[in-house]
Amino acid sequence: MSDPVRPSPLAARLSLIFIVLALVGLFLFPYGTLSRNFNAQSLLQRFPGGLTNFVGSPFENLPNVSAALLTGWGTLLLLALSLFAALRRARWLWIAGLLTLLLGAAAIVVFNSALSASVAELIAKGVRARRIPWTSGGMHLGLFLPLLAGGVSLFAGLSMWPSWWERLNRLRGLLVPLSAIALAVAVGALVVLIVQPVPSGLNRALSVGELLTGKLDVVWYVYTTLFAPVTNLNGLFDSLKLATPLIFAGLGVAFGFRAGLFNIGGPGQLTAGGIGAMLVGVYAPLPPALLLPATVLAAAVGGAIWGAIPGLLKARFGSSEVINTIMLNYIASAIFIFLIGNSTFPLLGKTYTLPFKAPGFEAKSLDFQPGARLASIADLISFNRGEAAYFSLGPVLALLVFGALYFGLRRIKARLWIALTAAAIVGFVTWKTVGIPVVGSFSASRLNTSFLIALVCAVLMGVLLWRTSAGYALRAVGLSPAAAEYGGISVGKNVILAMTLSGALIGLGATHYTMGGALDEFRLKANMPVNVGFDGIAVALMGQSTPGGVVAAAILFGTVDTGGVNVDRVLDKVNKDIVTVLKALIVLFIAAGGFLSRRITDPPPPQLVKAVDAAGSDDSAHLTPGQAAREAKTPVPNVGRSSEVISQDMLGGDVVAEENTDKIQLDKERES
Amino acid sequence: MSAFFAALLSVTFAGIFIRSTVPLLLTALGGLYSERSGVVNIALEGLIIFGALAGAIITKTLDGPLGAAAPWVGWLGGMVVGGFIAWIHAVLSIKYRADQVISGTAINLLATGVPPVVLTALYDSSTESPAVDHPLPLWGIGDLKFSPPVYFALIAVAVTWYVMYRTPYGLRLRASGEHPGAASSMGVNVRAMRYSAVILSGVLAGTAGVFLSIGNLEAYVRNISAGAGFIALAALIFGQWKPLGVLAATLLFGFLQALSIQLGGGNLLPSSLVQALPYLITVLALIFTGRSRAPRAVGKPLD
Repeated sequence: MSDPVRPSPLAARLSLIFIVLALVGLFLFPYGTLSRNFNAQSLLQRFPGGLTNFVGSPFENLPNVSAALLTGWGTLLLLALSLFAALRRARWLWIAGLLTLLLGAAAIVVFNSALSASVAELIAKGVRARRIPWTSGGMHLGLFLPLLAGGVSLFAGLSMWPSWWERLNRLRGLLVPLSAIALAVAVGALVVLIVQPVPSGLNRALSVGELLTGKLDVVWYVYTTLFAPVTNLNGLFDSLKLATPLIFAGLGVAFGFRAGLFNIGGPGQLTAGGIGAMLVGVYAPLPPALLLPATVLAAAVGGAIWGAIPGLLKARFGSSEVINTIMLNYIASAIFIFLIGNSTFPLLGKTYTLPFKAPGFEAKSLDFQPGARLASIADLISFNRGEAAYFSLGPVLALLVFGALYFGLRRIKARLWIALTAAAIVGFVTWKTVGIPVVGSFSASRLNTSFLIALVCAVLMGVLLWRTSAGYALRAVGLSPAAAEYGGISVGKNVILAMTLSGALIGLGATHYTMGGALDEFRLKANMPVNVGFDGIAVALMGQSTPGGVVAAAILFGTVDTGGVNVDRVLDKVNKDIVTVLKALIVLFIAAGGFLSRRITDPPPPQLVKAVDAAGSDDSAHLTPGQAAREAKTPVPNVGRSSEVISQDMLGGDVVAEENTDKIQLDKERES
Repeated sequence: MSAFFAALLSVTFAGIFIRSTVPLLLTALGGLYSERSGVVNIALEGLIIFGALAGAIITKTLDGPLGAAAPWVGWLGGMVVGGFIAWIHAVLSIKYRADQVISGTAINLLATGVPPVVLTALYDSSTESPAVDHPLPLWGIGDLKFSPPVYFALIAVAVTWYVMYRTPYGLRLRASGEHPGAASSMGVNVRAMRYSAVILSGVLAGTAGVFLSIGNLEAYVRNISAGAGFIALAALIFGQWKPLGVLAATLLFGFLQALSIQLGGGNLLPSSLVQALPYLITVLALIFTGRSRAPRAVGKPLD
């Protein structure tokens, strides 16, 4: 702060770490992957030259990567320059970072184009595309790390200006999730390093150097495969499919967090939602136009009931929602098995029949009526013209029109409605006419319209929580029940409301599994992965309990889940549950605040620092933990707080004195 | 129907009853230490799984060199691993002041992910470990033969009661959970008390896991705990955070579990619904007790 025209020591140190890592990585780590076969055995390009071959058999017609290696030398020079700038905390650190970033990106492009040039050459010679080894190549750590170092240095350098500092400061909320991801990735890498031997086709023991390179290669392979699904259409659809129930579960848990409640009842509410959907979707004699919404609603109601019970018990008797939701998970599971596990049940020596189970060995319900099924998104956004299938550009165009009008017409008041109408018209006209031909097939994907329901729920939740007085009351209860009660908000009512809506959101997730046919059949099946309800906790924590964050985190987890299956298939010693471990670690590290100092995640407000400065204290940056805690806008929810007030209320004990800061914080939020 | 009640009095049923009770009892006693010291421990379920996994793997590994002594080392290993995982929970809750429920949830999530990963790496099977040659020995008379953790659990109840109410350690532990501020001002090291209590809970839950994997079965199988950690948590609440209350509650819940096993083949009641009874009873018990008897400072980090 004393020296505003130079990057702060912290920023310089941060960029220094990444630059050194990139410099070391350039020489120690593989530069690029030339080829990788189905057993993950690879042919690696090293920097400044040389190959490491784990496949065993020699290769012919190697691609000419000398240009990429030459670019690498340039990157090396720029990295050295950035290193110098970071050490000197020079003002031009951001320029050096930008150049490194650009040249690093250029090196990747050059490397990839060398590969594709070689592929094109071989195809011209008449070799079949599947037999060309270079199609599986791409960048490796040596190419990736300079890119990262350049980016970090760029922003570290830019942060010396207050306007950029402000801009970056707004992203501070991402610090804890990001550092939690980084730590989880590091631990996960360690696990992979230990369990997975180097996939090698060589019939000899590997040298120490090869072993090191190979181990790093395996880790890089695992993580690139985990995140790869977003890079192709099929993978993306699969990821979104797995993300859909996570969005519902994450939204539900996040909703509870916002009201200070910890809903671990996801599995139970999902089950209850499934039962509700089944009762209506299979049996209700309704016309199709009513059946679909009624079934969706039934799923929500099922979840809502299962959420309302612990809410009611908490509001009325002060019993902990944490314990009650766990217990209700098991009760729901028992009812579920009772209903569809058998078609008969014994009671006091007599046998009664139940109408729910489909005949056969497997525990599943009868088929949903055709009117109670959700359409596949692949069908919705594609159309056929003659023989060829097209991927509709209608939604994309509509979105573009909406964005252009909404942000273009800043002066006009009704811009939202104008933009919406225009987007609707454009979408309607172009939906079945404008498209790009589909390469391969993606219509087999089970991604269905419940994904859209999830997105709508996210928007509705955002509107409810931040744009209505009911939402204000809910958040007030979450931030400080005592202050809320003092302000005339009924804590009990809001606890019930929050648990009900939280349960309804999670219950809606069942639409994906039953009406959407995500489990290959339009039935309620015993193999419905109810533990998604627990994953929702991870999603909500990652997404910082905001709707947008939850959707982003769910898509990230859906991607990694999809990638995990691919990793499992290729590597013999890595199980797909490595993804579950990563999720658990992320929750663990978020719970610990990413092991970041409170000063970094929740810095004291400038006024306070100034005041302490004025008082002549020289360690202004050192807040006591107590002060920092009171000033903090904790990203981790204050779960369990509402129980204090309720239990004190019930028992007539002394209310734990909440600091008024909570109320001030609320007022501040209302102003902004 | 009379045949059914006769079956309830049989030695076989008594065996099932005791075997269902012991893991609950051990785990609930572990939870007792942790929660009386002021740390919520919903990680019990995960701790059982880690203990079971470690016990099975260590015993399998040492089967050759150690022979009949292997399961004892396996038991020790299960305790150490359970204690270590609990220590992670303790560090997060006490040092990093994390929300204890979230931290516990993370441990439970970890317990669903780690076993498949470890088992795949070691044995190329994601669901179970190979059977050990030497499970824990069975002690007892006639048809009532149990592995040592059963007797250990019975001793543990008495010891826990004595430690809680008759030793300075127990007094300080309870004080840390009721009013950490006051305890701290009287010179009690609240953090150390909580660390020790949480680690102890891991050791006991780990023992429960060891009982399940190499005391009751001969290997670790997927879903081995089947929610025992959560039932134990329920028993802890139903037993009002008291050693003898916990004993009574686990006997009741163990009986219900054994009953649902016994009902499996019968025609008296649907066994799936009987299985849900412990959970239902807990919900009802919470209505009548609320938070009133819980340690006052449970869940709150010390400033």
